[in-house]
Amino acid sequence: MILRLLSFLTLFFVVPGSAYAKDVDVKKILDHVDDLYRGKSSQGIMQMHVKTENWERKLKIEFWSQGKEDSLMRILAPKKEKGTATLKSGKNIWNYLPKIKRVIKIPSSMMGGSWMGSHFTNDDLVKESRMAEDYNFELSFSGKRKNKEVIEISCIPKEDAAVVWGKVLVRVQTSDWLPIDIEYYDEEMKLNRVMNFDKFKKVGARTVPTTMILQPVDKPNEKTVVSYDEINFDLELPKDLFSLRNLQR
Amino acid sequence: MPLTFKIATRNLLRNKKRTLITLSALIFNCAMLIALFAMMRYWIEQSITNITSLAIGQVQIHAPEYREDRSLYKSIENPEEYLAIAKAAEVAASPRAYGYGLASIDTKSAGAQYWGIEPSKERQTFRFAEYILEGKFLSDNSKQEVVIGRKLARSLNAKIGSELIAVVQAADGSMGNEIYRVGGILQTISEEMDRSAVIMHQNDFQELFSSAGRIHEIALNSNNKLTSTQVADEFNAAAKKVEIKTWEQLLPTLADMLRVSRSAMYVFSFIFFIAVGFGVLNTMLMATHDRVREYGMLKALGTKPWRIIVDVCSEAFVLSACAAILGSLAGVFLCFLLDTYGIDLSSMGGSMRMSGIAFDPVLRSDLKPIDIIFTIIATSACCVLASLFPAIKAARLSPIKAMQKH
Repeated sequence: MILRLLSFLTLFFVVPGSAYAKDVDVKKILDHVDDLYRGKSSQGIMQMHVKTENWERKLKIEFWSQGKEDSLMRILAPKKEKGTATLKSGKNIWNYLPKIKRVIKIPSSMMGGSWMGSHFTNDDLVKESRMAEDYNFELSFSGKRKNKEVIEISCIPKEDAAVVWGKVLVRVQTSDWLPIDIEYYDEEMKLNRVMNFDKFKKVGARTVPTTMILQPVDKPNEKTVVSYDEINFDLELPKDLFSLRNLQR
Repeated sequence: MPLTFKIATRNLLRNKKRTLITLSALIFNCAMLIALFAMMRYWIEQSITNITSLAIGQVQIHAPEYREDRSLYKSIENPEEYLAIAKAAEVAASPRAYGYGLASIDTKSAGAQYWGIEPSKERQTFRFAEYILEGKFLSDNSKQEVVIGRKLARSLNAKIGSELIAVVQAADGSMGNEIYRVGGILQTISEEMDRSAVIMHQNDFQELFSSAGRIHEIALNSNNKLTSTQVADEFNAAAKKVEIKTWEQLLPTLADMLRVSRSAMYVFSFIFFIAVGFGVLNTMLMATHDRVREYGMLKALGTKPWRIIVDVCSEAFVLSACAAILGSLAGVFLCFLLDTYGIDLSSMGGSMRMSGIAFDPVLRSDLKPIDIIFTIIATSACCVLASLFPAIKAARLSPIKAMQKH
């Protein structure tokens, strides 16, 4: 998910010029969202604030990504976990643990587990589904909501799609197609979690939300907040950056 | 009275072949019953012992709701309090902490259930420390060492001395990680342990999970000094914020099954005895039929009907008593053979497992005097009862009609 969002941010260069609610091309919006994956590269520093019933912690993470395939994240703070890194390449995830100086691959049975203690799962990192291909979608709402012109798109996964959700609701601002929130429903059509986007900022030539809040619905006291301190797009990244060898740097 | 038995014995010896056939059927029946009783008792007792003294214990204490989601945070408040009660009641107690995470060796990884135990207490309370397939169990002060389940070892390709990497979500939210040496591989104790147990010293566990002092389970075992309910009762008074469950409550299907096996044994023997009864009924009917003229004569001479009933019944009694005694001897011998050699069921159908608990696949016997006493009394009673019908029939003969026969 983080990656998806990274690329989301990375590729917000196509700001739609004339998106009138009446003749909205839904597929275009979803494609547009999906095409955000096709980034060249990005690099930045983010803060991840995880709050659960039992603990709360803040991580400072530097990240790099290349296209939709590769990404690398390295924890900068707190001290106890400094150097812990995650490499994602294709559908695989490896963690590097500096304390024991070992790399371990996350087995498929643990893909549903939490990533670094957050409310994101490992699966969120590797998921590469395309909304317009894996989901049947329709425009479910268009108009004013909370003083904002919004477009709401309902996406129901196609039968053969490898998707864990029963339904995904995407809301974007009508004016610029910037995301407002995404609601994830489980297979029983119960709202499972909500991702809110906030703090839209101009980064370079484009405006992006710099804060994302993931809220699990069954645990109202818990959430994961990701906010970007710094993002740079379309850099030339060294080729071996996304290698296991570099992971153990 | 001795005269009655003398007559009965003589009567029995009049048709040696018939008596011998009935006798051997009865002997066989008694021997089989005794052996079956002893085998069944062994199996039931063994199963209960496996449950109560291998790893589960007679009673377990958890925080309320812990068993539902096995959350790291639902630990027992003041575990010392319960350990003190256990000590006072002379019940052995093992405090354990559980956590979940990833276990990885070389390129293989798998989900694991981490156990934090105190090896010395575990050894006092349970026998699973002896159930080691390879290597050794944890020593009292072992450090950075783990003992793992058999199937987990297989899926991780673990050998003794392998380096196992643990990655877990610690209690403070951080990623706990550490390297341990595989010191031992457990034998099959339960399905769950086989598949996922990684057992380490309590101190190692608390460091890995940053979970100072957290205890999730206290397993209790009085080594059969007390019943599980009695053990639970010791703690009920002090238990306000914990859940106390006997193994019967923890494993209800298994407890029910063992209970049913026990009564099934008696139902089984009841069917046996019905068959025995019919056999004896047949024999005695034949015997009295042969002697219709005699009974007619006896009645003509003024013998009271009850006298004839006693005669016939005591004949059945002598027959069954001889059979029961000889049969018991044969049964004891069968049990002795079973004990010495055992029947290995594993060759017939793989490993023995029920409700995730492993059982000893070798059947032996556990003979108690009650089995022999029950068999002897039940056989005799059944035979005497079966002989009542022919006895009454003989007693009610009209002398004239009876003497006209043949």
